[in-house]
Amino acid sequence: MSLNFYRRVAFGLSPNETPDKDPLNWAINQLDTIPDLLWPGTIPTEKDLRKKYGEWVYGDREVLRKKFKNDKHAYRKAKDELRIKTGERYFELNEHAIRHFQTKYSKQPVFERFWLFWGNHFAISEKDFLAEFSTGPYQREIIRPNMVKTFEEMVQSVTTSWCMIHHLDNSESFGPNSKKGMEWGETINENHARELLELHTVSPNAGYTQEDVIQLAYIMTGWAHKWDRKNLETGDIWFDQEMHQKGDKIVLGVKYKNDAKRELAKVIHDLATHPICIKFVSTKLCRHFITDEPTDEMIKPVIEAWNKSNGNLIEIHKAVITQAYKYNEITHKFHPPEIWLMQLSRMFDLNIPLSFEKMNYTFKSKPNNRQRQLSWILREIGHSPYRAKQPNGWSDLEVDWVSPELLLRRFWFASVELPMLVKSGNRSHNFILACLKNNFEDHENMESLIENFRFGTSDYDLGQKYGVICNLPGVLKI
Amino acid sequence: MNCTRRNFLIGGSTTLFLSGYFPKISFASMQKKNLIIISLRGGMDGLTAVPVIGDKRLKKLRKKLILEDVLNLNSDFGLHPKLEIFHKLWQKNQAAFVHATNIPYTGRSHFDGQNLMETGAHIPYKEKTGWLGRGLLASNIIGKGLAISLPMPLLLRGVPQNNNFFPSPDFVETKLIDQIYNEFKGEHNELIKSTLDTIRQRPLSMQIATDSDDRKKLALEAAKQLKDQSGPRVAVFDLDGFDTHAAQGGVDGAHADELEEVNKIVTILHENLGQAFDNTLILTLTEFGRTIKQNGGYGTEHGYGSAILMAGGLLKKSQVYTDWPGLKKKELFEGRDLNSTIDSRSVYNSAMSICFNQDPEFLRKEVFWGDELPDLSQELFKI
Repeated sequence: MSLNFYRRVAFGLSPNETPDKDPLNWAINQLDTIPDLLWPGTIPTEKDLRKKYGEWVYGDREVLRKKFKNDKHAYRKAKDELRIKTGERYFELNEHAIRHFQTKYSKQPVFERFWLFWGNHFAISEKDFLAEFSTGPYQREIIRPNMVKTFEEMVQSVTTSWCMIHHLDNSESFGPNSKKGMEWGETINENHARELLELHTVSPNAGYTQEDVIQLAYIMTGWAHKWDRKNLETGDIWFDQEMHQKGDKIVLGVKYKNDAKRELAKVIHDLATHPICIKFVSTKLCRHFITDEPTDEMIKPVIEAWNKSNGNLIEIHKAVITQAYKYNEITHKFHPPEIWLMQLSRMFDLNIPLSFEKMNYTFKSKPNNRQRQLSWILREIGHSPYRAKQPNGWSDLEVDWVSPELLLRRFWFASVELPMLVKSGNRSHNFILACLKNNFEDHENMESLIENFRFGTSDYDLGQKYGVICNLPGVLKI
Repeated sequence: MNCTRRNFLIGGSTTLFLSGYFPKISFASMQKKNLIIISLRGGMDGLTAVPVIGDKRLKKLRKKLILEDVLNLNSDFGLHPKLEIFHKLWQKNQAAFVHATNIPYTGRSHFDGQNLMETGAHIPYKEKTGWLGRGLLASNIIGKGLAISLPMPLLLRGVPQNNNFFPSPDFVETKLIDQIYNEFKGEHNELIKSTLDTIRQRPLSMQIATDSDDRKKLALEAAKQLKDQSGPRVAVFDLDGFDTHAAQGGVDGAHADELEEVNKIVTILHENLGQAFDNTLILTLTEFGRTIKQNGGYGTEHGYGSAILMAGGLLKKSQVYTDWPGLKKKELFEGRDLNSTIDSRSVYNSAMSICFNQDPEFLRKEVFWGDELPDLSQELFKI
């Protein structure tokens, strides 16, 4: 088995790891439990961060705008101070550090790859202040614990999470015949219902109609944040009967009797166990781990494992890895920038993320450049993970990631930025050679391409070496 | 409102169709013509950008979204006050609008809709190339596409060697590419290899480092490239944020902010293209319009018919070109959206035929599978 399997299903091997005698077992054994988050710095809870979100929006919207309505400059200054005080500038940086620390040091890197996959399947795209306060903890507290449960349970948690409900506007969806809908002349907002069908479960392949979307939106009415004057939109999610559309609903030909908050769990059960949903999500999993256009033959065992285990994600993940192993030598997969960065970081033991001591934040001034570095790199290579442009998340297709600028950004990172991230003890040529040997069959060819710089250890020399190595076809792709 | 279906039928859009296409060889057609597409992602609200004047029903359904200070276009339509440059160009016959138009997609999903606005197809995700890329390929115009974004938009895919411009913060030594170029072997590395070809052929002015957050700088560089007679002939800008489910607002709301961005880009292009603006067409593209009625969050939902904003010296005249379907309940699409009476692909097909000096019939077959798309060149553009 080629060494590239460790990059196909994980992040490659770090300098102190060695290839396993049985790579398939090595990978499959990582999926039964949820590894602890390793970041030694602060890991705030979703609830704490939502409180900060509340302080930020309340402070700005209700206090500062009114207080400084005639003084633009004073307003701007006060707003910047509020950003610092509430951590609006900081928490996303900390989340990126938690995420990258995990992929770099986890003893279950294969599990971590699935974590990235599910976070992107149930993506939170760039909206309001979600990336600043909510998307990170959503990944940790909603996605992660569900990865050893069933797909249905994952969908239930995601759909009623504060982050997703805010992301897709369900708090603004009123049943037109509900008490509040009638009183205020309000109606549904279809956004969340449509994405639950299209992106999270059955996909357009199920052939649902506009009426199905409306009916599902009716079922979802009432699932909203609890609004109050102080917390604004950051209150807990609850079921507001007074927003809920009364009467029976029909989605994809199935009738759901008028049953208030219990309707949602029933329809999610039907959607998450729908054969078209199973095929759609299995295909996406295979696309992520095997190749852009997986064949039916590749996907079939995953669907079988799904059906056999009633959607148990542990079993599904094992089937995906088994298929990835089976097709490892005959398929290719391009890695998007963030995974590429994580792999370089693990294989060459780069100095990212910043140490937790240095990430420590006092809420008294703007985060410094070092604290911002990882997030800045991610943005510049085109892949800031919690800022996908649309609710369908980041693409998993090579064509979406290969453009002159996106490739140039990788050359830029590897030749200009990366040398500054090489630890002081790792600047020798021999270190690079050892890392290459640990991760690549054709390391001798790679060595020959950087042979000219073998004596150099300056940033420039390292830039020349890493600039070449990191952008070779066998590194961009497996 | 006296704009009716009649207006559309006068003007005989089939003249060219019947007489065949004989491109005029003149000095003007020797000049390089530029086609600039600005993608407005999220669903641009045509009724906010180009509002119909004096429609009581619209006022009633959009109480919180009503615009004051609308710029005057004609007796039927106004213009959003943030679209100043279009108003200025309108006076010079260099701005026009197509209204009640959309791609033939009624599904109301952003992802499917944006996929279709770029592929020009009927089934989402089926086609892997964009109509603009296919149009360039069919016209044998290779290596002349420029995208002002980090990823290569689907719209431009289908023709090799496109460029994009969104510079990194530091200069990149492209000689590194020469060192590894020959390592890219085999079919599965073709895409990367051809992209590396494009990088190696970039003009020096594109090998700079700048702040890519600054749209002005990007538009400026695009204008510089497009002005160059041997430079790109097609540029694609990408804007998002038009999906205003909440706080859409009127003159200063969320939709207005996005229109202001469009205005900014067109202003810079106009200022910096100089003479080349006379040989340029700028067209917007979106996946759908928005519902007539405001929703619970003073926003609007995904709809159907929208508008195309157009600018440039290749426009025939200032006009709101439409086959106005009306806004009465029974005239709306599914009782809720402005209908689309013009397949927007016929506008894009005609624009390509003008800018690429190509027979619209030929393009229609090569790019849009022979779909029935009347040639609107005579109505909309200088030929």
